[in-house]
Amino acid sequence: MRKSYYCLLFVFFLLNVGSYAQEQTTPVAITDSTKKDTLNFYDMTIEQLLSLKAHGVPSEMEKLINSLISVASKKPLNVRESPSIVSLVTAEEIKNSGARDLIDVLRLVPGVDFGMDVEGVVGIGMRGNWAHEGKVLVLLDGQEINEILFASTQFGNHFAIDQIKKIEIIRGPGSAIYGGYAEYGVINIITKQGGDINGVAVSGIYGQTAKDFMRRNINLSAGKKIGDFEWSVSGMVGQGQRSDRDYTDIYGNTYNLAGNSNLNPAYANVGMSYKGLSFRGIGDFYQTTIRDGNDLASPKPFNQNFNSAYFELKYLWKVNNKLTITPKLNYKNQSPWNTPVGDSTNGRYSRTATRSTANITASYSPTRKINIVFGTEYYQDVAKDKLDSSTFAYNGTQKISFYNYAFFAQGLLKTRFVNIILGARYDRQNVYGDAFVPRVGLTKKYNRFHFKALYSNSFRAPSIQNIDGSLTTGITPEKTQVVELELGYQITHNSIFTINFFDITTLHPIVYYLDTTNAKYPDAYKNSNQSGTRGIEAEYKIKDKWGYINVNYSFYTAAGKQRIDDYSVSNNNAALLGFANHRVNLNASLNITKNLSINPSASFYSARWGYATVDSTGTSVLQKFKPMTLVNIFLQYKTPVKGLSVGLGVYNLFDQNFSFIQPYNGYHAPMPSPSREFIFRLSYNFNFKAKTTN
Amino acid sequence: MKNVKNISFGGKLLLLVFFISGISNKCVAQDVDYKAYTLFVYNFMKYVEWPEAQSKGDFVVCIFGESPVHKELAGLASTKKLKGRNIVVKTITKPEEAAGCQLLYVSSSKSGNIKVLKEQMMGKPILIVGEREGLAKKGAELSFVTLDDDALKFDINKKEIEQHQLKISSQLISLGILVD
Repeated sequence: MRKSYYCLLFVFFLLNVGSYAQEQTTPVAITDSTKKDTLNFYDMTIEQLLSLKAHGVPSEMEKLINSLISVASKKPLNVRESPSIVSLVTAEEIKNSGARDLIDVLRLVPGVDFGMDVEGVVGIGMRGNWAHEGKVLVLLDGQEINEILFASTQFGNHFAIDQIKKIEIIRGPGSAIYGGYAEYGVINIITKQGGDINGVAVSGIYGQTAKDFMRRNINLSAGKKIGDFEWSVSGMVGQGQRSDRDYTDIYGNTYNLAGNSNLNPAYANVGMSYKGLSFRGIGDFYQTTIRDGNDLASPKPFNQNFNSAYFELKYLWKVNNKLTITPKLNYKNQSPWNTPVGDSTNGRYSRTATRSTANITASYSPTRKINIVFGTEYYQDVAKDKLDSSTFAYNGTQKISFYNYAFFAQGLLKTRFVNIILGARYDRQNVYGDAFVPRVGLTKKYNRFHFKALYSNSFRAPSIQNIDGSLTTGITPEKTQVVELELGYQITHNSIFTINFFDITTLHPIVYYLDTTNAKYPDAYKNSNQSGTRGIEAEYKIKDKWGYINVNYSFYTAAGKQRIDDYSVSNNNAALLGFANHRVNLNASLNITKNLSINPSASFYSARWGYATVDSTGTSVLQKFKPMTLVNIFLQYKTPVKGLSVGLGVYNLFDQNFSFIQPYNGYHAPMPSPSREFIFRLSYNFNFKAKTTN
Repeated sequence: MKNVKNISFGGKLLLLVFFISGISNKCVAQDVDYKAYTLFVYNFMKYVEWPEAQSKGDFVVCIFGESPVHKELAGLASTKKLKGRNIVVKTITKPEEAAGCQLLYVSSSKSGNIKVLKEQMMGKPILIVGEREGLAKKGAELSFVTLDDDALKFDINKKEIEQHQLKISSQLISLGILVD
């Protein structure tokens, strides 16, 4: 068997070498047709030289992998040399897939998964680690979306995905640039700006299961770029539900989620820029209803809202060709988890938090090969308790305030053999102290091959509620060390294969516990010992005129890592609570005709572990959930009416009982996702005409 | 089936990569496009002005060292003329052989010779074009550079151009990157 395997490997190797050798040695005779091509080519105007690429006319795939992103380095670098393991999701991919919300978009990205927190909220996981509270930074047009009380981000019919231009995802640490919420990853959502919209865009989605509607959202955007001035206004309003299936809490109480799990978004985003000066304002009002609570289901649904407003004023000052200085002011006001009327099992909660940030960043490029980014940041957090009877444990009053200052620097040296990136960030907070996170990266693209070798430190900044709930034990930032190696090979003009290996070790992770000795403030946090994962992520992408296929495989294991009991699977060292050890995703788009495409997508989950019931003593019981594959299909048709396209699809085609499992032993049962859902999409873009002069 | 199971996961992955790359051989990944380099060189010829004495007869392009650009330049020379002049492409192996050239293309493999070339060509009306990035800072008048997004550009050493009695058009300057 082994012999035949090596024979097969050798044959395939020869196939590659043969085709490559043929390409290298075949002489090109100058025929009449090549002469004609040559004549046309060399008759290009001098201005057309601007569009020439060093490696010829790029395919769609090459445009993608050569596109510049700045999420991992501040300085724009192409995807293959960017000093992080990154994924790029385009507007085209989002639109083609028919994705219902950000969960559908991100679950197809290797490393990203979702789990159940509490109170109806689904949060994010990264590479097998629960990352919901302050471990993955979500940026929306540069604004930090994570709420600052718990540092969480809520997913499920929340964000306006129709308005996204692209999503840049760091599937590894980003603290050396972004600070204390970017311990395991960064999701940088960039929406369409005035120049991208250049007119008015309207879109809508309707989703229906056998039992009830699952979503009905409307998006509206308008924008234009006029010389140096660019403006855009966009918004979304809608209604949605978490699921139409039955939810059974850990104690066996059951209710149907239809009518009991509203996810109603209302969102507005305004952007303006003139030359280097820009302003951004975002209002995000996510209204939900819940019955699931923390563990025991409530007798009837009640409202829980997440309201946020973000403002930014920024000036990009190009001092000269080598130096750019960017001062920036940000303000955000949030009232997350706002439960004005609770019930007997779930108390009221109404706290607001504001963060005022001043940041100045300089980017200096003395030569094309060297770039230095450095800067400083200061922010102040203020939290207020709005309930008459409630105070903060920290000081026994209804208001607390903290401040943090930071310095960061990064050097990039590009040589013919390797790009070297060195960076670090130092944060100091007035209560929990300091965090210093250096990183070093080596990257390089050698024609078809590229590699990245990265070592990064990162940290999670304790949130306001973490500080407030840690008076007994004290709290410090949790720190993470990550080693990553990525290898990539561009197989053809239109296909690429990448694989990466990673090892994550988190020291002193912040964990929640119930302080039974403190009747007034039982919700408590402390630093635990150590946790982490290691694994492999591999991805193959092919893109051509007929469409594209993206396939990825992820493997995560906790084997060889220290574990925290409440996050572990007691009878399986490699397993991760809530998340599958093996994931496979497929995302494809096949053009049937010029205007009609069929877009299948699928996610395979190997067996997962979680808690869904309690035993006779009231102790949660570990349970193994069987492997599952979610299959979706979406048809998109560009109608003869210019700008109008319609789409029809089915999500969860085989009606699988998929649930979001709580990745810790928090006594919350798995939260079902929708059953088979038929979706209908409609979008219309009306472009402003270019102004003509006589 | 049992046999397949015996192959380790890494082995299966390796097999898959070779299989996919093997069946995709009709459409190989992009390598350096020397035709684009040649188009730039052709425009250098058109938008740089040589002294009167060098503006008659054949326009001689010398390639110092081996470079795939030779084949493309030869193709160009067989189909195009430069303001009515024939374009002649030849390979040279020693700097001394560059005396009769109007344009000297220094291949990547010979970029280590740039200082010698600079000294030997000093003051002569020869446009030295470096294939490798950075040569315009070391003595070439123009040298190619590939930016992060794969855009092909060129550096311009204006001082060297003037020193070689050549004049570069403002149109060409606007497309390139001036170096100190």
